[in-house]
Amino acid sequence: MRVTNSMVLRSTLRDLNGSLARLQDTQADLSTGKTVRKVSDDPGRASSAMATRQQIRRSEQQARSLADAQSWLYAADTALVSGLDMMTRLKQLAVLAGNQGVATPGSREAIATEINGIRDELLSLANTRHGDRTIFSGTQPGPAFDDTGTYVGDAGAVVRDIAPATSVTVNMTGDQVFGDVFEILDQLAAAIVAGDSAGISAQHAALDGAATRLGAAAAEIGARASRVDNVKIRAEAEQAGLRERLSELEDTDIAEALVRVKAQENAYTASLMAASRVIPPSLLDYLR
Amino acid sequence: MISGLYTALSGLNAQRRVLDVTAHNVANEATPGYHRQRVELQPNGVASVAAVFAGPGTNAGGVNVLGVTRVIDQFAEARLLRESAVHSGTMEMASALSRVELVFSEPSDSGLAAVLDDFWAGWSDLASHPGDLAMRSQVLERSRNVVDVLHRASADLAQIDQATRQQVERLADEVNVLAAQLAKLNSAIVGSVGAPNDLMDQRDVVLGELAALTGAVARPNDSGAYDVYIGGRAIVSGTFVQEVTGAGGELRWEGDGSAVAAPPSRAASLAQTIADVVPRYQSLLDGVATALMAQVNTLHQTGFDQAGDPGVAFFVGTGAANIEIDPAIAGNPAAIAAAGVAGAPLDGEVARQLALLADAPGGADAAFRSLVTGLGVEVRAAARREVIQEQVVHSAAVEAAAVGGVSIDEEMANLIAAQRAYEASARVLTTVDQLLETLMRTGVVGR
Repeated sequence: MRVTNSMVLRSTLRDLNGSLARLQDTQADLSTGKTVRKVSDDPGRASSAMATRQQIRRSEQQARSLADAQSWLYAADTALVSGLDMMTRLKQLAVLAGNQGVATPGSREAIATEINGIRDELLSLANTRHGDRTIFSGTQPGPAFDDTGTYVGDAGAVVRDIAPATSVTVNMTGDQVFGDVFEILDQLAAAIVAGDSAGISAQHAALDGAATRLGAAAAEIGARASRVDNVKIRAEAEQAGLRERLSELEDTDIAEALVRVKAQENAYTASLMAASRVIPPSLLDYLR
Repeated sequence: MISGLYTALSGLNAQRRVLDVTAHNVANEATPGYHRQRVELQPNGVASVAAVFAGPGTNAGGVNVLGVTRVIDQFAEARLLRESAVHSGTMEMASALSRVELVFSEPSDSGLAAVLDDFWAGWSDLASHPGDLAMRSQVLERSRNVVDVLHRASADLAQIDQATRQQVERLADEVNVLAAQLAKLNSAIVGSVGAPNDLMDQRDVVLGELAALTGAVARPNDSGAYDVYIGGRAIVSGTFVQEVTGAGGELRWEGDGSAVAAPPSRAASLAQTIADVVPRYQSLLDGVATALMAQVNTLHQTGFDQAGDPGVAFFVGTGAANIEIDPAIAGNPAAIAAAGVAGAPLDGEVARQLALLADAPGGADAAFRSLVTGLGVEVRAAARREVIQEQVVHSAAVEAAAVGGVSIDEEMANLIAAQRAYEASARVLTTVDQLLETLMRTGVVGR
């Protein structure tokens, strides 16, 4: 086959161009720090990278929900622990009132007054607010209990999604937790003042029931809080894993890219030298 | 002996002609489309027709210049033409698909995928604080972002369609100009005396450009003119030109308005972009928008807003270009139906369910990811095809240049040979001249 100058030039230029294009690609890898800059660079990895990005954003959102759930549960937990202390004191007072030894009207008055005082404290505890709402009123904006001790909230549940396919109900409604404890306390105070020992024992028994209910509620909230804490630990580890995976998919391995750039630079320089050797000489140089 | 003079003279003329042609070749070594030319020489005195009285001939001796021919491999040239046309088409397709990919610019933290994620996150925040006006306004803000991004993507695709249509019109104008040039060259070639090699080279260049644009092929007719066909119909017949027009997004014949059936070439790729690529991605984008609208609206309408009224459709519209937030909600954050039951102002159950739509199968996110991945695969395949085709064109060009290209070394050698042959013929001439002189000087008869 004849070899003409134009063929040599064309082939040389084409090879130089290819060499330069590869060099430019590695250059872009280094300067942007990403090997997958467009989906067409590597559709498989790009698709995984997009999905991973999405998971990271979701887990960030869920972390916010989880933090909110935690604060709800801690608020409820704190309130219920105080409530349990009050119940203990109330039970002591009920026992005291049931003793026949407390006979004077004055001492009965004193016990009833204390019971009423604790009742009012318990009422304001039941109406504890968290942010802009009451934690025991379900999904109603107002207080959970009115002054007469009647539940005025609703049965709504407050649910938070704290992890993929994991949700937690962060509230308990006032009637689940306190039930009719205020009515019991009112009647107990009245029975004590009236000296009605049968009434006192009946209300004492009912008070025990209410205390048990409160205790169960506190245990339930505590269990949920602990579960949320566990989920948080796992979620944080997963998020770190996701970020690592994204970096693996998208980011340039700097060391490898630097080695590649050096090799390609060498190849390019070598082909430039070869081109300079091949293109110029012709018979003209050798004719006198 | 006098005939010896004329023999030498014919040699001088022939070698001078060879020199001229060599000079012409060397001067045009780098001219695009130039094929080297060669002087055809034939020894004089060869009887062309065998006949009873044909002998060595009285005019024996010397060399005839038959003519100057172009050295060209027609098959290689035809192959180069065809492959260049296909390459032109693959380049255009790769470029069009790249432009479509730029519309979506993924993976990124500011494209539609990110904006959709923020949208779902907004619903999740609202579910945690359904009574908070700031959260409601945030949902509206993020919805507006989604709508804006969808509008922009749709508009960008429409813009690509517009730009491509303009390119088709410009291509048609170019084709008409080239066809007219080719017809003129045809008439010049037919009317010329001797072999019009350079005109034929020019005509091949024009044909090459025409082929890159439209995949045209040429058939030489009896008079030496080229008839040029696109998709089986003649655009140039001798000196007659059938024009084309590019209005309406595809090439059509001026005469009867029927479509030009261009084989793989730039014109075919432009037409494909307008007729297939852009509408397909426009419809996939619309699919993302309608999936979003359908899922969000269905859920939203099961909810209750802050006044306790049932939720209306959240989005209105039919596709990515005209999707909007329902005007009743757009100016009134309280109308967002976050609650799952009426009369429970702080219930955020519907908002929570809406946030969970992010991972719903058949949802907007899944549809979009599938769109972008499919597009990425298509772009990559088109780029690959272009690279492979470029390789094919290169090898075809090398093959054609091997026959028709000018080799400086070869021309220099020819130059030396011609020079020596000229010297030799000149020497013969002077020798014969000396012989005649000797003859003239001997003897005294007639002096």
